[in-house]
Amino acid sequence: MIRIEQVSKTFGQGKNSVVALAPLDQFIGEGEFIAIVGPSGCGKSTLLRIVAGLETATEGRITLGTSQLKRPVGFVFQDAVLLPWKTVAGNIRFPLDTSGVPRKVGDRKVEELVELVGLQGFENALPKQLSGGMKQRTAIARALADDPAILLMDEPFSAVDLMTREGLNDELLRIWQATGKTILLVTHSVEEAAYLGTKVMVMSARPGRLRKTYDVALPSPRTEETKTSADYLDLVGELKHMMRDADR
Amino acid sequence: MTRASRAIAEYGAILAVFLFVWWYASGPYGMPQYLLPSPQAVASTLWKMLLAGDLLPHLSFTARNILVGLAVSTVFGVAFAYLVYKFPVLSETLEGPIVVLQTAPKIALAPLVIIWFGLGLTAKIVLIFSLAFFPIFAGCLAGLRAMDSRLQDLAVLLNLGALQRFVRIDLPASLPGVFVGLKVGAVQALVGAVLAEWMSGDQGLGYLMTFATATYKTPMLFGAVLLTALLGIALHGSLNELEARFLSWNSSDEH
Repeated sequence: MIRIEQVSKTFGQGKNSVVALAPLDQFIGEGEFIAIVGPSGCGKSTLLRIVAGLETATEGRITLGTSQLKRPVGFVFQDAVLLPWKTVAGNIRFPLDTSGVPRKVGDRKVEELVELVGLQGFENALPKQLSGGMKQRTAIARALADDPAILLMDEPFSAVDLMTREGLNDELLRIWQATGKTILLVTHSVEEAAYLGTKVMVMSARPGRLRKTYDVALPSPRTEETKTSADYLDLVGELKHMMRDADR
Repeated sequence: MTRASRAIAEYGAILAVFLFVWWYASGPYGMPQYLLPSPQAVASTLWKMLLAGDLLPHLSFTARNILVGLAVSTVFGVAFAYLVYKFPVLSETLEGPIVVLQTAPKIALAPLVIIWFGLGLTAKIVLIFSLAFFPIFAGCLAGLRAMDSRLQDLAVLLNLGALQRFVRIDLPASLPGVFVGLKVGAVQALVGAVLAEWMSGDQGLGYLMTFATATYKTPMLFGAVLLTALLGIALHGSLNELEARFLSWNSSDEH
């Protein structure tokens, strides 16, 4: 569960201050998949970083259902941010190693995660030997390693090609269904947002603010057919319209 | 060919050319023995000293001082670089003094080091430290500053303590820079060690040089110089080997 109440962010002070995020409210229930979409400069990444605790809100309050934990959220960066000196397995187990999980338990968990993200056979590869998509899979497995109830993703697939991206989207849906996590995903692709989310938050820039939150009524599980259905195309059109409208 | 065998072949080729020129100058060309002893004379002098047990103690004394000096320089260089990295205020206030210290002719200050720290081991280590510290410090700091800043975000997300952050993220990330500094520092350390032995004490390759010069034992002087050069090459080679082993993740070639 994530409750966002009147959260805003202003960078700088006085005359030089810039409002990155106007006060914003949103409630996100357990197990929901929220896609946040908007043009650059709309504050979507800032919002995600505030939820993650990487930035502090200038005003307002974030309540996480998991805030009593040492690590309340899992986070996936835009381009993986792996430790270059560690192998795939070493990167995935990094959160476990740094929280004192016994070696044997960690081994089992890593094996499970490698399978979940489909990286069998690459356990001992170094990040420099991996493609963009494989790096991102490793990063997702790392974010899932200590089993956080909330997974935050900051444009996780923007650095990979379209084919890989569509495959990763489907895998992400499968992982979401298999684990029941609450996911908050930032993207600039309206299609991706509509395809993945149970809700889509549309944001606009100057100042960054929330325009509208859509409930997505598309049937689950989403498949290739979803992308040709009239409901999906209507929603994409509507979201695009809202973003254009907001930009004006 | 592997890295190591190629390096050996390269060094070997250079050594062979060097030996030939040396032999030609001292033999057929006819340079006098007291100016340029032949390679054979130097080799036989070294061999006799080795058998008499007069060589290895000097060699190991110098080698040990260099290793100890480098270790101390690395510990302080890394620690200091980390402080400056963590507290940017320090770098603003300390940059001036550090540059002054670094540009000061430390070799000229060597006699002062002897006066301050005595004729023993301490002065030798201090002199090596004063030469090797800066490159290691600068290398480490460059390594830290080149680190992907989002690794710090990762540390926040994983709620890492200060020690975990240092050991598991910052230190490994700075290692490529530390190694660049170490390689420069190793050469400086060798200079510092020999210099210190010139000025005081009765042990080490530097002492051997001054002793040989004072007693007109030119073959022994050449032997000591040769061994010092070989020690430098061995140091450089070991550092390269260590780097290849521990920092393969940082090399651009993919195996």
